[in-house]
Amino acid sequence: MAKKVDSEYAVICDHISKIYTLRNKDNQHRTDKKEFYALKDVSFKTKKGEVVGILGTNGSGKSTLSLLLSGISEINEGTMQINGEQALIAIQTGLQMQLTGLENIDAKGALMGLRKKRIEEITNDVIDFAELGDFLYQPVKKYSSGMKSRLGFSISLALNPDIFIVDEALSVGDKGFAKKCMDRMMKLRDEEGKTIFFISHSLPQVREFCRTGMWIEGGRLIEIDDIDKVCDDYAEYVDFMNAMTKKQKKEFLEKKFEKRLIEPKPKHRLFHR
Amino acid sequence: MLKSVTYVLKENLSNLYRIYSISKYELLGDMRDSKFGIFWNFASPAIQVFTYWLVFGIAWGRNAVTYRGITVSYLPWLVVGFACWWYIRPCITEGCSAVFSKTNVITKMKFPVSVLPATVCLKELFNHWIMMIITIVTLMLCGYYPNWNWLWILYYMFCAFMLAEAIGLVLSVLTMLWRDVKKFITSIMRMLMYFSPILWTCEFKSHVPFHSLLNKLVKANPVYYIIQGYRDAVFYGRSVLNHPVITLYFWCLVLVIFIIGCALMYKFKKKFIDMI
Repeated sequence: MAKKVDSEYAVICDHISKIYTLRNKDNQHRTDKKEFYALKDVSFKTKKGEVVGILGTNGSGKSTLSLLLSGISEINEGTMQINGEQALIAIQTGLQMQLTGLENIDAKGALMGLRKKRIEEITNDVIDFAELGDFLYQPVKKYSSGMKSRLGFSISLALNPDIFIVDEALSVGDKGFAKKCMDRMMKLRDEEGKTIFFISHSLPQVREFCRTGMWIEGGRLIEIDDIDKVCDDYAEYVDFMNAMTKKQKKEFLEKKFEKRLIEPKPKHRLFHR
Repeated sequence: MLKSVTYVLKENLSNLYRIYSISKYELLGDMRDSKFGIFWNFASPAIQVFTYWLVFGIAWGRNAVTYRGITVSYLPWLVVGFACWWYIRPCITEGCSAVFSKTNVITKMKFPVSVLPATVCLKELFNHWIMMIITIVTLMLCGYYPNWNWLWILYYMFCAFMLAEAIGLVLSVLTMLWRDVKKFITSIMRMLMYFSPILWTCEFKSHVPFHSLLNKLVKANPVYYIIQGYRDAVFYGRSVLNHPVITLYFWCLVLVIFIIGCALMYKFKKKFIDMI
């Protein structure tokens, strides 16, 4: 029975955890091995065509989750099942500073694994979408950061996976371009029925775009529900954090950090005393 | 084991265009960085050869090398060996950092990591072709004109490519595990240069203790096979068919290194991101 039921889901995560090894404060050696849960015991199911907004403060594990979802990194515990091809939208990755914008379309396109023919097909679309004008023939090192993002994002759109993972990709560029990107993402959502995981700190953007919200805090999944409810709860939490005094906040954060640590296993002794 | 080899082969063969583009644009990027661009791809090896020729050929007075009854003067002899070495050395030292230098890519997108050593070898192959142009011009100035036997160079070039690719697979993974590997290899390569028949024939005279053992050890170096092959093709009119034993040895060695490389690559393919 499992297979048929499962296929309506794009992603099924069952108690997944990701563990990082921490280094000592004073040196780079990993003498007493401390381990740290980047994600702990996260379970959720996402249906095909769903648009999930992932919320959380800095360092809470959002990006780790995006790496796991896109298949770049491996989980340490639990099981994860992904139906369909997934891609992380990485806008500035693969742009080469010395090359011109036009050459970068080829270079980045090939880096993403597009065939030659496909790159030729998309070149005009990319040029249209990026709206760089004559800067297209300038080396990318002369570009402003917004222009780099425009170019990078436009090229990334040529990918055609089943599951998109967008990690704070839309928070760059000016308002006009951000709107254009949003429109394009909406089109992916509404017309092509893609599954999208959307990580952003901009609550209005998330509210507008996503249908389901997921709130991760301290490596744990706090809430997964309708987007408005999650956004409200998250906003409340942020206000609560901001209301704290400096000292309280420090204590609070330390406590949260300690919860994620894994006690080092007792060392295996060869000789008993 | 078979699984890992098929995995690496499949990933490489299904990404040929990607390999080609990455090396092409890396080269192009390097050239754009400097004002004279491609000129340096010619000039720097030429200056190297010139230096070694001045030091060893003129100052130390090594004039001719006799092998199998054929005497070749030092400059053409040196230039052929050097062209070959100038391909293998950067392939291996750059191969070490093949994966590490692409950190920003492999952490940000799903990427077939095992193609990276091949991109380095391909990129250096371009420089090698330029070096071959210099070599052929030098040879012609010294009175050696191309004949059909020279085509064996293409075979030995392929040998060098496969050797560099196999070593690159192993070393790129090891460098991710321990960054020290690259430093170690850079020093080792300097040593290897003198234990390969590049500047001298690498034959220990009979007054050296253990000379027969040392001479055998020198031949165990796979670079020996390739450099000797280049020279066989150009000067001595011999081909691979004249050396069946060492050819078999060379390919077995490459195969073993390649399998080790594939196994390492397969084992660590998704762990690279945690090692950075």
